[in-house]
Formats: sequence, C-alpha cells, structure tokens
Amino acid sequence: MPAPAPVRLEGVTKKFGQDVVAVDRLDLAITPGSLVTLLGPSGCGKTTTLRMIAGLEPVSGGSILIDDQDVTRLAANHRDVTMVFQSYALFPHMSVFDNVAYGLRIAKVSGAELARRVKDALATVGMVGLEKRSPAALSGGQQQRVALARSLVLEPRVLLFDEPLSNLDAKLRRRVRQEIRDLQQRLGITSVYVTHDQEEALAISDTIVVMQGGRIQQQGSPHELYTQPANRFVADFIGSANFLPGEYDGSSVRVGPYRFAYEQAFPKGAATVMVRPEAVRLASADGTDAPGGGEAGFLPGSVKSVSYLGITSELLLDTPLGELASSVSGEGRSRFLRGDAVQITFHTAGVYLLPEGGEAGL
Amino acid sequence: MSVRSIPHARTKGRGGSAAVYALAAAAAFLLLPFGRPGRPFLTLDPAFRPWNIDAPWLWLLPVLALVAAAAALAPLPTLRRGNVLTFAGAGAFLVGAVWLVTTRTPFGMGALLSLCLLVVVVGYGLSLSGRVRADPFVASSILFTGLLVLLLVVYPLVTVLQAAVVVNGKFTLAKFVATLQTNRFILIENPFTPRSEGALVRYFALAGLVLAFAWTLWRRQPALRVVLITLGGGLAGLVVGLMLFARGAVPSSLTLAVIAATVATLLGLGFALLGQRTRFRFVKASLGAFSVLPIITPPFILAFSMIFLLGRRGLLTFDILGISSNWIFGIPGVALAQILAFTPIAYLVIQGSVAALDAALEEASTTLGASKWHTFRTVTWPLLRPGLANAFLLTVIESFADFGNPLILGGDRNYLATEVFSAFAARFDQAEAAVYGVVLLFVVLLVFYAQARWLGRSSFVTVTGKPSRRAFTRLPGGLEAVLLVGFAVWAAVVVALYASIIYGSFVQLWGVNGTLTLKHWRDLTNAGVPVFLYTMRIAAISAVPAALLGFLIAYLVVRQEFWGRRLLEFGSMLSFATPGTVMGIAYILAFNTGPWLLTSSAVIIVLSFVFRNMPVAIRGGVAGFAQVDRSLEEASTMLGSSSFRTLRTVLVPLLVIPIVSGLIFAFVRAMTAISQVIFVVSPGNQLTTVLLLGWVEQGQTGRAAAMGTLLIVSMLVVILLLNLLTRRRGGITGEVVA
Repeated sequence: MPAPAPVRLEGVTKKFGQDVVAVDRLDLAITPGSLVTLLGPSGCGKTTTLRMIAGLEPVSGGSILIDDQDVTRLAANHRDVTMVFQSYALFPHMSVFDNVAYGLRIAKVSGAELARRVKDALATVGMVGLEKRSPAALSGGQQQRVALARSLVLEPRVLLFDEPLSNLDAKLRRRVRQEIRDLQQRLGITSVYVTHDQEEALAISDTIVVMQGGRIQQQGSPHELYTQPANRFVADFIGSANFLPGEYDGSSVRVGPYRFAYEQAFPKGAATVMVRPEAVRLASADGTDAPGGGEAGFLPGSVKSVSYLGITSELLLDTPLGELASSVSGEGRSRFLRGDAVQITFHTAGVYLLPEGGEAGL
Repeated sequence: MSVRSIPHARTKGRGGSAAVYALAAAAAFLLLPFGRPGRPFLTLDPAFRPWNIDAPWLWLLPVLALVAAAAALAPLPTLRRGNVLTFAGAGAFLVGAVWLVTTRTPFGMGALLSLCLLVVVVGYGLSLSGRVRADPFVASSILFTGLLVLLLVVYPLVTVLQAAVVVNGKFTLAKFVATLQTNRFILIENPFTPRSEGALVRYFALAGLVLAFAWTLWRRQPALRVVLITLGGGLAGLVVGLMLFARGAVPSSLTLAVIAATVATLLGLGFALLGQRTRFRFVKASLGAFSVLPIITPPFILAFSMIFLLGRRGLLTFDILGISSNWIFGIPGVALAQILAFTPIAYLVIQGSVAALDAALEEASTTLGASKWHTFRTVTWPLLRPGLANAFLLTVIESFADFGNPLILGGDRNYLATEVFSAFAARFDQAEAAVYGVVLLFVVLLVFYAQARWLGRSSFVTVTGKPSRRAFTRLPGGLEAVLLVGFAVWAAVVVALYASIIYGSFVQLWGVNGTLTLKHWRDLTNAGVPVFLYTMRIAAISAVPAALLGFLIAYLVVRQEFWGRRLLEFGSMLSFATPGTVMGIAYILAFNTGPWLLTSSAVIIVLSFVFRNMPVAIRGGVAGFAQVDRSLEEASTMLGSSSFRTLRTVLVPLLVIPIVSGLIFAFVRAMTAISQVIFVVSPGNQLTTVLLLGWVEQGQTGRAAAMGTLLIVSMLVVILLLNLLTRRRGGITGEVVA
C-alpha cells in the first residue's frame, strides 16, 4: 500500500492526435500539504499535466487519483479541485464579491454563511473593503489575489496554479509569490504549481518536478536539484552550468591539465563535469595570486568578454576545452578585462559529475 | 478557515433528472396522441391514442423509456448507467421515428414531445458513458442541433434531389434530361433569327482555343500546361459565346452574374479606396450609411422603383428625356438593379481587406524606389486580390440566387432562380422545379467551394501583426476625382430610387396621373397593415429561436470537441449558402405530406425563417466567442459550475451584444426575405414581401410603394435602435478582451 497522497498520477499519458505525445507515462505522488512545482520549458507537458489533474483535458491513458478516489473520468466541475489561472480569469461582469461567491453559490451556500465565507477568504488575501469593485478597476496584483480568494473559498482538496505570476511585473512577482507561499503553508493546502521560471520554482516549492519531452527528468527539493542534478538537462535548466569533458579516477577529476579532488561516489572513467558559473575561480596568469595546493594545477584561459551586471560580472572565458561562463562577485568583478590571460580553478561545492554525455535520465 | 464543508458528492441527482426525462417521455406517449389526421397540430384525436394504433411494437417506446428511467435510478456504476440510458433511449426514439416514417403518419404532439425528451435521455447516456466528453446539457444540445439541421436543412435538400431524379417511385434521369433540353433551360440555335447562333458559339470556342494556345507558345509553357490552358481557353470562349448568343435560363443567369459581379466589385473597390483615402469626411460617413441599405431593403424594391424612374413611363426616361422604351425589362435592367443592390455588399467585403492594408508596406515600396504605379501593381494589388475575389464570388452567388429582381424586371428571358418558382407555381411541375433547384444549388455550391478552396489559402489579411494607424498616401488627383464623381452618381441614383418609392406612394397613378393623394395609404391600412403586423409577429417569433439556436451552435462548434462538429458547422451553413428559391421548393416538397407535414401553417414559415437566418447568428456568435478568453469558462468549471450554468451566468451576460444583434438581424432578414417564403406562404398566412410583390405584378404600384415605404422606414428604425444599443453597451465587449 503506497503512502497516502492527495494527488497521485499513475502512468498518465496524453496524446494529441495519433503521433504527438505531450505527456508520456507520468508517475507522480504528491505529499499532503506540500507545494509541488512542475517546471520545464514550454512544450514540456507541464501545463497539460496540470490541466489533466484539473479535468480540463481528457487523459489518453493511465489514471489520476485524488484522495485515493479515481477521478480520471470525473468531470472537472465535480473534482473538488480549483485553479488559479495565468490570466486570472475573473468574470468581468461580476463584482469582486460575486466572483468569490460564484463557487459557493453553485455549492448552494447562501445568506449569512455565504457572506461570512466570502469575507473570510478576502481577508485571507488582504482584500477586505474592495468587495463592490469590478475586476477591471483592480491592479494586476489585486486581481491575482481575488482569483486566489475565489479558489481558496471552496476549500478544495487540491489547489492548482497555472503560471499565476507571469502577467505581473518583476518586483510585484517576487512579492506575490512570497504571499502565495506563506498562505499555502499557513493553510496547509496541497498545491500543484506550474511555471517555466526556475527562480520562481526554487523560491516557492517544497518539491520541484522538472519535465522535458513529456517525461519527468528529476524530482526533488530545490536544493537537491541545484546541487545534484540528475542529468545535463536539469543542470542546465536549474541555474546555469558549464559542461566539460573529464575523467574520474576514484578520488580526483582531471579536466584538461587541471586535476582536483572529488569525493562523491561515481563510477571511474570518462565523465561530464558540470561546473556552476559561480564556482569558477579566476586568478591572473602572471602568478601574483596563484591558487594554493600546487599539485591541482589549473586550467589556462583568456577573457573573451565581460558583462558588468552590478553585483556580479559575467565573464566568458576561452579555454582549450571550449568556452566557459563564470560569474564573479565581490571586488574581483571589475578586475579582469577582455583579453586578460587567466588561471581557472573550481570550487568543488559547485562541481558535479554526470555520466558521459549526461543525457541519461533517472 | 473551516475545513471541508463542500460536499464531495456533487454528482448526485444526475441520474435522477435523467429518470424524470425518461418518465416524462413515457407519459407524453400515453397521454397525448402520437399522430394526427391532418394539418392541425393541436388535436386530441382518439384514433391516434397508443391503444388505438394497430402496431403492438410501438409499445416498445414506453417500455424502453421505463427501462431508462429504472437504470437512471438503480445503483449502477456510472458507465453502465450511461450505456443503458444511451441504448434504451436511442431504441425508444427509433421505435417512434420508424413508426412515423413507415406509416407516413404526420407526427402528433405525443410523438413530438416524447421524441424530444428521449433525445435528452440519450444525451444523458452519452455523457455518463463518456461517449461524448461533455456534460448532459452539451451532449443533448449536440444531438438536438444535429437532428434539427438534419431534418430542416439536409432532409429538404435531399428531397429536392430525389424529386428531380425519382418519378413515380422509380429512379430515372429522364425528367432531368428532358428539362435540360428545353428552350427555357438553354437555347443555342434560335429558329427565329436568320443567323446561326450555334456557328457563332463554335467560332468563339475556337477563337478561345487558338488564343490560349498562342499564349502558351509565347510564354513557353511545358507540354501538360499547354494542353490544359488551351482547353481552358476553348471552354472560356464557349462560355462567352453562349453568354452572348444563347438564350434560356443558364446563359441569362450566367451573363447576369458576370456583369453584376464585375461592376459591383469594381464599384466596391473604388468606394473602399475612396472611403479610406479621401480628404472628404462627408464621403466616408455617407459610405457607411449606404452600406446599411441592402440590409433594410427587400432585394426587389430597387427593381420596383426602377420602373418608376426608368421604365416606359419613367420620370427620367419619359418625362425628362422623352424616351419610352422597355430596355430595363431584360438583362440590362436586372443587372442594374443587382449592381445597385450588391455594390454595398462588395464594398463591405473589400473594405475589410483595404482596412487591413498596412500603409508602411506602400511606404517601404516607395522608399525602395518604386513609382506609384509600380507600388500599386506589386504591393497593393496582390494584397487586395483575395478581397476582390471574395467580393466577386459572393456577388456571383447573390446574383444567381436573386429572385425578386429577375421576377420584376426579367422581361421575356428566363433565369434559374425564377424558373424554380415558375415551374412550381405556373406550370405545376414539381419535378421540373426540383431539376432547376438542383442545377441552381449545384452552381452556387460550386462557387462557394471555389471560394473556400481558393481563398482559404491566400488571405493576407491576418498576416500583418498590428495595422499601423498612419495616414495613407492620397489617391492620385485624377483617380480621386473619377471616384468621387462615380460615387456621387451612384448616390444620386440610390437616393432618387428611394425617394421615388416614397413619392410614388402619394401620387394617384405613377406616370399617368400625378395628383397627390393619401388614397394608397388608406388602402394600406385596410389591406396591408394587418399583413404587416402579422409578418412582424412571425418575424419576431422566428428571430428568438434563430438567435438562440445560432448562439448555441456557435458555442458547440467553437468551444466543444465532438465527433461530427465539422458536419454540424457545414450543415448549418448550408442553409445560408442555398439559394432561397431552392430552399423554398425543398420545404414544400419535404413538408407537404408524410411524417413531417407542416405546410399551410405559420409553423413552416417560422421554421424556414429560423433556419435561413440562424447562420447570421452563428457568425455573430463565433466572432463573439473569439473575444472571450476560454479561461473564463474553465475558471467557472473549476469552481464547480456545469456547462449550462457557465453558459447562463458567464457567457450569455458577456455576449449580450452579439446575441441581440443576431436577434435583430434575424428579425430584419425575416421581414425583408422573399425568395424562400414565397413558396411556403398560404392563405391566412400571408407575408408583407409576398403581398408587395403581388401588388407590383398586378400594377397596384401606389399601394405597393406605400407598403415598401412602411417596410423600409420601420426596418431603418430597428437598425438604428440596434446601433444605439451596441454603441452604449459597446464598452463591455472591449473589457472582455482584456
């Protein structure tokens, strides 16, 4: 008997037409009260998966269980699942109050009970006093809160979010996402969240499910995904990464002329070395501040371009093994100029080995 | 917040309502007569009580209905319940329908009611069993609209086809061939003329062949294209020869269509360019006003007033120019009437593609060094071509389908649309009428097909992203002057025609006795106004189902996925494409006897209006749905709403404007229609346009003019009211888009 899960997908498949497989035999179990994010580039099947959980998209194969009840064939309006839409989808011809009361009225809640619950829901999202407004008279952030209240008021078994922040500007997006996270944790509502923005996913999720080509590439906490990506796709999609050909001998990794210690378990032989840009350390090639631990050596290179970004600088480096991106913070960010010869070393915390090629899945 | 107070079992009650429908179907079967002896609908004839009907198997209907009711209430798994409902409901429906069709008994109230209720039961079944991925409301709606389109659009057309090739119960092409060989259909060699038309036509075909062949040699075409183009040239020569020298309905209609469509398209293009690029605001404003005229005017009214103005005793021809000639009775007159009537249609179509032209494209061409003419030839013209072709083909179709103008001004020539009516009403030959109907339908559908195939791929209108709002280069001075004069002449003619109708209603007898009088208006209050009010009532009654059904079909076609969606769309648009006379003869043939006996009643008039005007509402609905973000419906669904509730609480309030427009256009079109209803009117169910046409034919011109004035003015008021309404509520649709 598997552990209890408010949402469980078993071999869920979605085909469009005969040939296009949007979601391919997906298995997923969601822990009660957690916020799970489906993350991936556009066309990876994340939105389709969310819409199948919602019941808005018919399933081609497999089954969907909510609270251990098979809902695969249950219509969307009977699933007791609500959704916050990218466009908010507030009914433009109804006031804020009527929007929030909409689902309650369908559930035959009326009178004082209705008014109380609408008021509670609006209070939860900090929108008291705007009940009579029309949605058109609200700002984007306010509309988003009303949409959230409208979903919360029904106390659904699962709350779904379909890229809810993508219509907000950058600053507001940070604030609203924090509000959503706080609210979700406070109320303990099991939530599934879809986004293509990895920063948003890292900030908000208990668990991230990285999808590509209709399949799950990796699933885990934000920290796990960042520090131990399962493959090249995940490594590249979560944060950014350099990939270099290397070789592992059981205790150290050799990349070109550069050798450094590596202690995590990994089969010996050829490997793809993933290096986060912020783990790339630079020293001037004139030897004035050569890295310590002489045996490790370094990777020689030269600065190809410098982009000054304020708190950090992004340097593109030419090395015998190809181009390498590095992110330099602190004082070093303005030290190197285009054409400077540099000695490159890595912080081992930002290095991770992948099987050669790095394309293998889980 | 308190936890979990929403009941999970929101699915309860669904089986219950299916049981109610099934039981109601059984009750309707038992309590109301299943058939009726004759035309009256509301009879309680005991002969058609189920126990008096000598067909024991008919009792399967209530039995199966009860089985469905039991299945709906029994604790079955949803899937099996759905299957039982589907098969029991469909079985009961078939039993009833088969009895009606095999015994050819006109349906009674019991049959109508129980069959409709059974459709709902099947809808529940299809929804619960998952065969249709939608809730019972949508599933039932799909079934209902599908059956209605089948019964009231497809079945009549099939009947026409059948009437043309089945004589005395046997399939034969004899009638078809015989009709096609009559002089009325086509006459090449006219024995009353000294020249040989056959030879002339042959020369034209030969000339076309030779010219096309020469062209292929000159342009060095590959062998296969040489053959095809040469043959095409020969065919074109043949057609031109026939148009010039042959007589009969086919050459006449063809000549008329080519002349009317060419001139109307050119005028439409000129006016569209003028409207966009002229300095004179007044011209722009009046163009808009003129484009409304054909909507509010019955198509033949202009033909009628042309007699006042240009006829034997016409104001312009006789009183001013002193000519007394019958030139307007024949192709020139009909062509002129059609040009006047269809130019606004061509203008509206072309205006769309002219408006989509991006000024930046022409500016880009100019900055690249092109002359004005070169720019027009290489940029403007190719972009306009699809719009022009569209306007041309639409006016060709309108011209072929036009019934009123050829009837009044046709003279001694025959036309396809009028021959359908003359064969039926003057020669009492239903089969011949059906043959003409089939030919006309074939021609029109062929043009529609060409339009869809050809223009479906080559529309540039949507290619550019945002149309820039920059000012266009002015038209060259000479061209603008020519267009302005052309528009002034056109406007003067139209104003004169409308004015002469109004004036004609106040003179004793046009062209003979010019004394002013109110006699015709007094006559009208006795003879015309009751019919006018009756027509208003029928038009209003038919407008409601036309608008609602059109909206529902638009919803199903745009927002739902189901098997046969395309067919439903095609079927419902078919009634729009079919010429009115063809639909008229089809209704008479299909609903005159048998299970669907409807003729000689107001019901058949209402039904013909509903299905004729519904496509206008469908188009309006489709355009409206395109403006409403789908996520609004999805949000409503996610909040627990059924699709019917979503339709009622979200979509209808947001789409009030398209629905009301559909309602009003359906009403106005019903008030001004002639070609279809002239077949289905009956004594006691007389309509304004038919009465008016009769008066024109009898020469009661004053009275007819008074009726025409009343009709035009009242429709103008209705359209103005609609304009006022949409302008005031216009903001709402705008907000929806955001």
